[in-house]
Amino acid sequence: MNNENTLLSIQNISKHFNDSKAVDGLSLDIYENEFFALLGSSGSGKTTLLRMLAGLETPTEGQILLDDKDMVPVHASKRPVNLMFQSYALFPHMSVEQNIAYGLEMERMERSLIDKKVQEMLEIIQLEKMAKRRPDQLSGGQRQRVALARALVKKPRLLLLDEPLGALDKKLRSEMQLELKRLQHEVGITFVIVTHDQEEALVMADRIAIMRDGNLLQCGTPQEIYEHPKDRFAADFIGEMNFLPGVVQGDSIIASSKRKISVMSTNGFEDGESVVAAIRPERMSLFLENAENSIEGKVHTSAYHGMDILLHVSTEFGEKPISVRVPIHSVGDKPFKAGDSVTLYWYEKDTRVFANK
Amino acid sequence: MNFKNKMSSVLIAPAFLWLIALMVVPCVMILVLGFFQRGIYGGIEYNFTLENFQLVFDSLYAGIFLSSARIAGTATIIAVFIGYFAAYAIATSPKKWQPTLLFFAVLPFWSNYLIRTYAWIVLLNREGLLVGFSKWLGIDGGIPSILYTESAVILGLVYNYLPFVILSCYAPLARMNPDFREASTDLGASNFTTFRRITLPLSVPGIAAGAVFVFVLSIGNFITPALLGGGRFQMIGNVIYAQFLTANDWPLGAALSMVLIGIMMILLMIQASAAQRSIGQKNKEQLDG
Ligand SMILES: Nc1ncnc2c1ncn2[C@@H]1O[C@H](COP(=O)(O)OP(=O)(O)OP(=O)(O)O)[C@@H](O)[C@H]1O
Ligand SMILES: [Mg+2]
Repeated sequence: MNNENTLLSIQNISKHFNDSKAVDGLSLDIYENEFFALLGSSGSGKTTLLRMLAGLETPTEGQILLDDKDMVPVHASKRPVNLMFQSYALFPHMSVEQNIAYGLEMERMERSLIDKKVQEMLEIIQLEKMAKRRPDQLSGGQRQRVALARALVKKPRLLLLDEPLGALDKKLRSEMQLELKRLQHEVGITFVIVTHDQEEALVMADRIAIMRDGNLLQCGTPQEIYEHPKDRFAADFIGEMNFLPGVVQGDSIIASSKRKISVMSTNGFEDGESVVAAIRPERMSLFLENAENSIEGKVHTSAYHGMDILLHVSTEFGEKPISVRVPIHSVGDKPFKAGDSVTLYWYEKDTRVFANK
Repeated sequence: MNFKNKMSSVLIAPAFLWLIALMVVPCVMILVLGFFQRGIYGGIEYNFTLENFQLVFDSLYAGIFLSSARIAGTATIIAVFIGYFAAYAIATSPKKWQPTLLFFAVLPFWSNYLIRTYAWIVLLNREGLLVGFSKWLGIDGGIPSILYTESAVILGLVYNYLPFVILSCYAPLARMNPDFREASTDLGASNFTTFRRITLPLSVPGIAAGAVFVFVLSIGNFITPALLGGGRFQMIGNVIYAQFLTANDWPLGAALSMVLIGIMMILLMIQASAAQRSIGQKNKEQLDG
């Protein structure tokens, strides 16, 4: 991030529906020109948070400061914030250009200026030829671009996107991920995007927040979140992770099979406490003979992934096989068969320790 | 022809025959009747003539057509206005209350048409509740009774056909994706602008269906003008009724009927094709959630 001016400051915000606490005492700062991703399982309160930022939902308590101004009393139609709906919500009785112009008409902008801005926007989303079409005459990807244009053309301080790529197939999705990132760069607007897809968040975002039960579990750069997850849940949520159960003894962990797992530190845990050692599949190797940790096992399954081979290896560490990513260049054409004996190596610096719960 | 086609023609046959026997055949008979002469003592002389149709466009009958259209049109406008806002109120009330509210809105519809109309006579006549109430309020001699005036007929028509309008306007309002309204607000529109530019245009198919319904049923209605109009003035339905049953001029009655049916058919066709277009649009929308 090049710019760390706080644009939006969410302070201790809550939203309670009758008996359920959709958002519960959440605080978060978002910086200017940031691409911020909200990640979390279903029902964790992501949509509710966005709707409060847009003004479509009134917080039960808490403050939302945008450019140091409290937004809570400001009506949704008066906030410099726009929301791109998950359903796109394009007006079906209006053409593409009418949809895009709608928000500008609400600002009582001059017609000639509106036409000019709509034209610019159509160029950016590359739909000049579709200007006169109705939303039902567009493909899913085109519709998504119109919805984005309709929100962007108002040049909001903050653009909220609720699972904008949810309805798209995988290929279009990764194209649109790059497109969104390019657009954000081009227009210089702060984006807050909600997604279910952790890979999407890692690829697109400057910072990621993981939500759970209406609050933040962890917030940080993709690298921080991926390399230093805060707890077992966060580690499991982002990317793939092997968990080896054991108990703390001094500076290491003793697995149930009495094998010792070396880790950097067991700070924060007491001797005899039940924990898991966590290692990413790509941090394990068949060849790092000098690594502190090793375990013998038998190949359970082997899956070819193009760039690498994903091995599931049965070991004494438990019922669940350990996942290992073996780079394709390191094994050549030699395939793995189920039952092959292998030894896995990993460094203690790549091993995280979490409470086992 | 495959099995599915055969199956559907078997299933559709009874309805089709029914339609032919009770709808198409009588209509054709009426149409044919319109081109014959009236017998001197009633009855029909089978000589071809265009006289009846000329008579229909004569100032007397054309005038009645026009005034019927005016009355039906007024009733339609009032019914659509009231009905749309009732439907809007129902569609925006809490979800769990909506079925109950709809039930009450269409409740009168389940009672007999004649009884409902007679009930209005009781309410509106010179000794009726309305005049009595105005006397009780202290108006000297009470307000004049509107029974047996055009206003009473319009009132009766609006009252009778309001449930249709409520139902046909409720459907698009209840189905409308609430995101549309929120998106409009988010883009900076006031609640009134959102209503004017989003909600209202998207409910036009329902409004059109309701309006055509009320107009078509009103313009041909003869019971309400007879009872609430007190026979003092006639709508086209009453004239047709009289030609067949009292004046015994079946050919003229037939010609009048044909013109009336023609007007109705044109309106229904316009409405159906408009609905068809918007249904096509809706289906596509729903595919993408
Ligand atoms: N209008 C509402 N009335 C009652 N409860 C609600 C309402 N809106 C949301 N909730 C509840 O609040 C919680 C959070 O919902 P929210 O839609 O914010 O989750 P989400 O993180 O967006 O989930 P998803 O990923 O499935 O979209 C859920 O338990 C939901 O049932
Ligand atoms: Mg959601």
